[in-house]
Amino acid sequence: MSASQSASQISTQDLSLTINGKQVGPMPVPEGLMMIDFLHEYLALTGSRLGCGQGVCHACVVILDKPDGSSEEVRSCITGAHFFKGKKVRTIEGIAQRDDKGEVTALSPIQQKFLEHFSFQCGYCTPGFVNAATVLLEKLKRAPVARDKLEDTITEALNDHICRCTGYVRYFEAVKDVALNTPGLVKDAK
Amino acid sequence: MMNAARHLKTRSGLLLIVVGAALLAACHNQDATNPAATGVPAALKSADLVARGRYLVRAADCAACHTAATGAAFAGGVELASPFGKFYGTNITPDKDYGIGKWSAEEFYAALHDGVTPDKHLYSAMPYTSYRGMSRADSDAIYAYLMQQKPIKLANQEVELKFPYNMRFGVRFWNMLFLQNSLPDASAGQSAEWQRGRYLSNVMGHCAECHTPRGMLGQLDSASPLKGAALSRVVAPEITPAGLASAGWTAQDLQVFFATGMAPQGSAYGEMYPVVHLSTQYLVKEDLTAISTYLMGDKPLPPQALPAATVDAGKLVAGRQVYLAVCAGCHGREGEGKPHVAVAMKGNSSVRNADPHNLLVATLDGIGEQQFAGTERMQGMPGFASSLNDRDIMQLANFLRASWGGQPDNVTMEQVGKLRDSAGH
Repeated sequence: MSASQSASQISTQDLSLTINGKQVGPMPVPEGLMMIDFLHEYLALTGSRLGCGQGVCHACVVILDKPDGSSEEVRSCITGAHFFKGKKVRTIEGIAQRDDKGEVTALSPIQQKFLEHFSFQCGYCTPGFVNAATVLLEKLKRAPVARDKLEDTITEALNDHICRCTGYVRYFEAVKDVALNTPGLVKDAK
Repeated sequence: MMNAARHLKTRSGLLLIVVGAALLAACHNQDATNPAATGVPAALKSADLVARGRYLVRAADCAACHTAATGAAFAGGVELASPFGKFYGTNITPDKDYGIGKWSAEEFYAALHDGVTPDKHLYSAMPYTSYRGMSRADSDAIYAYLMQQKPIKLANQEVELKFPYNMRFGVRFWNMLFLQNSLPDASAGQSAEWQRGRYLSNVMGHCAECHTPRGMLGQLDSASPLKGAALSRVVAPEITPAGLASAGWTAQDLQVFFATGMAPQGSAYGEMYPVVHLSTQYLVKEDLTAISTYLMGDKPLPPQALPAATVDAGKLVAGRQVYLAVCAGCHGREGEGKPHVAVAMKGNSSVRNADPHNLLVATLDGIGEQQFAGTERMQGMPGFASSLNDRDIMQLANFLRASWGGQPDNVTMEQVGKLRDSAGH
């Protein structure tokens, strides 16, 4: 296995995976390429944001759908594309509903609420927050929390995400809004 | 005397211990402390008692056990897990009811030297086994400093020990058997610097308490000083001259490590992280030099260069894929690390360690975000227990060891599984 980094000698491996419900590949992909670069440069899925590039800001997270039906965030800037080989991934482009031509027909509930609550300003961190909130809401659907644990649960889910326009409170309120107004996510909700 | 102690590993019971203790009780010789090596460094020699005490309290790392993460200074509460049960650091503020406010300097010295307080025998979780070599003058300076602290009304937590260790009177016999006036040396030396380093390492810093293996009754194994011990989840590695040289440490590396928590061989983690934080980063340069001289000896062994890969790269492909997938983003494609993000894997002390224990533990559990001297930070490392299976971690560990550690690719899935289970992952 060559360790050379020169462009002409980059060794590749075939990669195939499912992204937003569609089969991608098999296609040759450089073996050390990070997922975010694969999304941006190979698939033109440019919605995932490269922020810090070192796993801190969480703007770049994608959703990994696991075989057991659960989902989790993965930081695409520090995770190699080949980590996702054979796996199912959702990116920010796969959250809203689209028609056959790929046009957005309906936002997801959390996207809608982020708009209604004016949660973001510059919007750079928003794809990460949408994915984090989506993962949280799916988790609540599988295992609802008690009403008095909801705030802590939201904080825990969003805490790692950094927003420089200080939209934290409005992101928080929007997620709480969806959680409280979607049946079955919170126990004893009134 | 310690030979006799080792032969007692035969679980022959308390009776034999009592008889042995009675026979050996007279064997204690005089204190071996070299008075020239005690005290504070030159710059503080003429400082007042309390200032000297402040330095010595840090050198002795009292806060490691006596200051809880979210508690008041020196009010106790830090949990120390052991095979015998749980100990808790005690309140050593000058509070008269809950702390040591009623103790005299004499009584304080007795606690450090003999493990005896005005009301009881201490368990050797309090390292009087090491502090025994402390000079009376240094004990008095520490006492003076502690007596200046704010008294805190916080009751001590009782030890939670299994039978028969919960019978405190047994400590008397333990002391007769195992309490030595000085600890054995792992290195050879005679220089003044080495002597000072011995005092700082063996007495004040009580390095041996974690780095020397222990026998069945928790006694330090005097035949294997500083050979490394598994007292907690992260193992304290071997820090003998040979052990340090085999991982590529130089005196300079050690001094930088003690001062900043980081060296080319990696950053302090596990229980060494608070040691740097609370103790070694405050020591003056001459004392850090003394410690490195003591650990390596007056004639240090040359550091071993990192050997070339031990295994054909073809055998390591699977592990390399795991590395590129989930590690290289922070530790670098070629294991070179990223400043202020993640340490280098190439030549890392835990990767170069013949025992893969700490490498596997770090991979499974992760390492929390770390703050070092000044503005230096290292990012938190996630644990991979839930995202990598035993096979992945085995292959990863073998890739790291063989490529950048000069170690064989001999980690097994069973080893990974055992460590995974023991943490409840």
